[in-house]
Amino acid sequence: MFAGDQNGLQGDPRLKAISEAIRVVPHFPKPGIMFQDITTLLLDHKAFKDAVDIFVDRYRDMDISVVAGVEARGFMFGPSIALAIGAKFVPLRKPRKLPGEVISEAYVLEYGTDCLEMHVGAVQPGERALVIDDLVATGGTLCAAIRLLERVGAQVVECACVVGLREVKGQHRLNGKPLYILVEPRQLTNCSAPSVNGVAVNGVETCRHNDLYLSAT
Amino acid sequence: MRRVLIFSSPNPITPQLSTPPTPPVNAVFPIRNCRWIGPSTSFQPPVLRLHNYQRTPTPLLCSATDSVTNQTKMASQDEQDPRISKISSVIRVIPNFPKPGILFQDITTLLLDTKAFRDTIDLFVERYREKDISVVAGIEARGFIFGPPIALAIGAKFVPLRKPNKLPGEVISEEYSLEYGTDKIEMHVGAMQAGERALIIDDLVATGGTLCAAIRLLERVGVHVVECACVIELPELKGRERLGDTPLFVLVSSA
Repeated sequence: MFAGDQNGLQGDPRLKAISEAIRVVPHFPKPGIMFQDITTLLLDHKAFKDAVDIFVDRYRDMDISVVAGVEARGFMFGPSIALAIGAKFVPLRKPRKLPGEVISEAYVLEYGTDCLEMHVGAVQPGERALVIDDLVATGGTLCAAIRLLERVGAQVVECACVVGLREVKGQHRLNGKPLYILVEPRQLTNCSAPSVNGVAVNGVETCRHNDLYLSAT
Repeated sequence: MRRVLIFSSPNPITPQLSTPPTPPVNAVFPIRNCRWIGPSTSFQPPVLRLHNYQRTPTPLLCSATDSVTNQTKMASQDEQDPRISKISSVIRVIPNFPKPGILFQDITTLLLDTKAFRDTIDLFVERYREKDISVVAGIEARGFIFGPPIALAIGAKFVPLRKPNKLPGEVISEEYSLEYGTDKIEMHVGAMQAGERALIIDDLVATGGTLCAAIRLLERVGVHVVECACVIELPELKGRERLGDTPLFVLVSSA
């Protein structure tokens, strides 16, 4: 579900500012991919704060005790939300980064597999959890995160992302868990790149490219 | 990047380590009000410098001089701030990670204690608010956990300093030495402007190699690094000296 679809946030100027603060970098990490770069959002203090506030307003009364953030960009949003809603923050990391005992969940990439890990004992059975990442594309990583939390008996209340496609190809792969997204990806005009972070997009939105950094990419 | 205690053993023959006893299954991880106790005294670290092996990092008076301003008196510098001992006590020490002989300071347990995590951020925010700091730079990846909440609270932007090939678009890179070989950190071109006042954040400072690379990166674009701030310092590794003129502020010192 998109934040802007909800009665309270329809036409909210904060969402427009958040969207415009996100930079699109074409052909990264490889040709054809339009990378949604949230680092420019982090440079805009007001827009960054607004993004966190929108998540906090949504989740503060949902009895959420765990915010799990996916490495590494989930770390940039998750802790602020956790602190504001009184939840603990649990990092979900690539293999061999977390010391001590971990549980692992493998997931499929376009070519090959990857793995997400969580500390044993970080989350207790019955806890209500939120999963945070900057962007959802296929949903593969979020699904692995959900599985990790459910394996230890936690209840995943929702997955939340700053950017995501309106029609997430893998939406059904979120195992029925709701997905909350602030903004849709933007595209450069006159760009023939067919996909967003690796996921094909039908149609091109009309939007402009903000030269948000002093130097052009 | 280095986040761990690096030992250089005076003994050229790798000593046999006794295997630490397995912690009880239901106490592998510190839960509220309960702390996993590390290995028993049968564990012998291979280096003499660890003769005073501690389970708990020593709480530290904030040791940096108040270089940010001469006027403001920081409460946490005058005496042991009561929040610090709690923060120190919830940081978990994992022996032999990522390799034998290293005691890893694990801050993830701090993040599970909502009050202690909140206090950690508050201690930094109290120090840096109203100091005209416009940039908080965080070092991948654990600097990303502490940096953004601080940046949001003090009205600064947050800039991630990342491993190679993670940042899209134009970057500048700074290489630094590791025990074996080199590594690099990168920053986006244009993320900071000359003349800005910056803070650099990471969870832990050991030798200071990564922080020094970060300082060089920022100074190359004309930014003034006001201070480096970490949750934990490993003073025996002399990171503070390596930072030279740039002040270092830490909450906890693990001797």
